[in-house]
Amino acid sequence: MNREDLILKWLDHSLNSQELEQFKALEDYNDLIKLNSSLQHFKAPEYNTSDELKSVRSSISNTQKQSKLNWTKQLLRVAAILVIGFSIFYYTTTLDTTVKTLAAEKSLIALPDGSSTHLNAQSTLTYNKKNWNKTRDLKLNGEAFFRVTKGSTFNVITENGTVTVLGTQFNVKHRNNLFEVVCFEGSVSITNNIKTTILKPGDRYLILDGKYIAKEKENLKTPNWIANKSYFNSMPFQYVLNEFERQYDMKIDAQNINLQELYSGSFTHTDINLALKSITLPLNLNYSISGNTIYITSD
Amino acid sequence: MKKDIAENICNETLFSSIFEKHSKNLHNFLYYKFGEEFNPKDKVQEAFIKLWENCAKITPSKAKSYLFTVANNLSINATAHKKVVLKYQLHKRKSYTNENPEFLIEEKEYLEKLQKAIATLSEAQRVAFLLNRIEGKKHKEIAEQLNISTKAVEKRIYGALKKLRTEIKEL
Repeated sequence: MNREDLILKWLDHSLNSQELEQFKALEDYNDLIKLNSSLQHFKAPEYNTSDELKSVRSSISNTQKQSKLNWTKQLLRVAAILVIGFSIFYYTTTLDTTVKTLAAEKSLIALPDGSSTHLNAQSTLTYNKKNWNKTRDLKLNGEAFFRVTKGSTFNVITENGTVTVLGTQFNVKHRNNLFEVVCFEGSVSITNNIKTTILKPGDRYLILDGKYIAKEKENLKTPNWIANKSYFNSMPFQYVLNEFERQYDMKIDAQNINLQELYSGSFTHTDINLALKSITLPLNLNYSISGNTIYITSD
Repeated sequence: MKKDIAENICNETLFSSIFEKHSKNLHNFLYYKFGEEFNPKDKVQEAFIKLWENCAKITPSKAKSYLFTVANNLSINATAHKKVVLKYQLHKRKSYTNENPEFLIEEKEYLEKLQKAIATLSEAQRVAFLLNRIEGKKHKEIAEQLNISTKAVEKRIYGALKKLRTEIKEL
């Protein structure tokens, strides 16, 4: 047997006694043995299997506890999502409902108790569906006609005063410095900072630039604008033009005109030329249309 | 039915027996491969915990290779970003009271040389050689453990021996 084979066998721990003698006779036997015995100093640290098994077992049971914890965490997550979902649902359903009309747009709104509202152009109406059974409060900015079914107090709140009714039909108009209430049926009470006024059917309540203006009785069943007409009785021309702009979504340029001049009459919402004639002819004015702007000039 | 239970590593008795069978080998393998710095004991623990977590998916016959792969990967992850020159601590296991001081100094010098020489071995050589020399494992056992052929083990070990001897002579 040659030297290399002997060393290989030695390395494999498989020398038999005869081969061992041969191996011992090798010149580098001492070197190899010295190397081998020194290598034992590099032995891996003692590994206590049973101790290690114990610690693995304990970490396994810890992780199992942790996974149980994770399970409750998961449950909490689901609960949190549900809570958030419900609160969003609750929040959105109790949120105020707002209806807005643009210029040249009218809207009929059915309120939760069967009351209804016609909303005129460029008006905003805000109410709360959720609390409707307790308080029938609406916030109005613009003009609207109400048909109120019998029930608890029905309040229309505007900046210029609150209109309270018990079941009736009435029109509220609140535009800048103009506040007008017309009662068509039943009775209406109007409260502002100063006093409370009660309107009977046909009564008209008008505040213009902070002044109360007494008006004659109204004989109509519903406001004119419901039938697509705007009616004015001795109103400053400015308010007529404002209403015209709202109904036709046009700009009116009337710089050299006396806007305080009183106008009595009406204009239709369906024919712009006819409407312009109805508001200019009685006051001896001319008009021209250019794009989205109407120019009104005096003779 | 009995066979079913025996085949499931989720069974604690079987798990313990697998631990007793493989944990020490795994530990020594990791130690010789990555050195002490990388906590081979912790890696063994982690590997067995992973085995337990996946006990339903792994058959006992696959357990050994699973453990070695997991522990190896864990250690590689830990060492991925730094290539470390492994250092081997000398274990003073016996007090050589009978030896004279000259011999002790000589021995210490020799061990230092050996340490440096071992550090020059390739990782594959080092693992195979030290398992063979220190743990007294036969070529076949090492081959099984490392999933390579006996011939390759023989080559690695013989190569390592040769390299060590020349290194020591040079130092």
